[in-house]
Amino acid sequence: MTHPIDRRRLLTAAVLGGAGVVGATAFGSLAPEAAFAADDLTAQAGLADPNFAEGRITGITGGVLAVTGSDNVLHRIRVTDATSIWKLRPTTLDRVAVGDGLYARGARLGDGTLAADAVWVNIVNLHAHIRAIGRNVLSLDHRGQPIVAHVVPGVTAASYNGTPAVADLSLLRVGRHVQVLGAWHPDSNEIDIATVYAAAN
Amino acid sequence: MAAYGEVSWFCCGSAWGPCGSTGHGACGTCNSGSRQHAWPNASDACFSITRPDRCGESITRRTCGFLHYTTNRCNGVRVATRIADCGPQTDLFCGERVCCGSVCGTNRIIDLTPSAYSVIASLSTGLRPAMVTV
Repeated sequence: MTHPIDRRRLLTAAVLGGAGVVGATAFGSLAPEAAFAADDLTAQAGLADPNFAEGRITGITGGVLAVTGSDNVLHRIRVTDATSIWKLRPTTLDRVAVGDGLYARGARLGDGTLAADAVWVNIVNLHAHIRAIGRNVLSLDHRGQPIVAHVVPGVTAASYNGTPAVADLSLLRVGRHVQVLGAWHPDSNEIDIATVYAAAN
Repeated sequence: MAAYGEVSWFCCGSAWGPCGSTGHGACGTCNSGSRQHAWPNASDACFSITRPDRCGESITRRTCGFLHYTTNRCNGVRVATRIADCGPQTDLFCGERVCCGSVCGTNRIIDLTPSAYSVIASLSTGLRPAMVTV
């Protein structure tokens, strides 16, 4: 009989192991898609999720992020070799900075630290209208607020009505509604675009 | 009865960045860190905005606090959430289709909070084919 991997135990071991972080590959991938499959419905629907955190980074010490939640709750988030980090693209901890915003999912340890499976840095998913299109930039209206959305060559892609994402943004039109997945520039109204989803109508 | 379509995510409640301008949603309880979702037919006023019928979708009226289960059809993982807001605005993306391999979903039928969406998929995916059940 096979036993399911106890994810909390694995991550705890990884955290407590320090430099000898347990290799995720020994148990299979800890990439987000696989990591999320290990979660279940234990947290009550509708309630705050203890294995999730959001907020702004106020300090980075070793592999621990000090984060102040938007509701002023303080979080300690442990990043290990097994943690996937996204900041416009998959990246590493050295690209994360104080002042960045984040969402994180993982397992809450006994001392309250969140051992992170995945951290999404500055990620935004905005619904907006296109106000203007410039060279490598879109001017967006998001809930009445102007957003400057930068095209990042080699990263930015467009999905037109659900088609596979392509680098060609030429089919975007002023006035159209779009969903923009991207990375926020902290303390500004600017973002970098990862994917722009454009409706057909 | 199951509904098939697309799932995305949205932020609500106290938040950083561009999300900071959002409130606690139509139900007044929505928070990004809670396992909640937006439903396009949460009230008459909500339906008049989202108009899933314009995309051929028959979405049942369900109000604040109603429990749904959303399954990511790419990996079979599901999450339980309660209605906390009105959305998505289905008619703005009529006919939109997202696939992973041969599994596809058409039209936006539910939006999850980041907490909920990250249970079933990476936030960086943005959009997934989904099944919604009660």
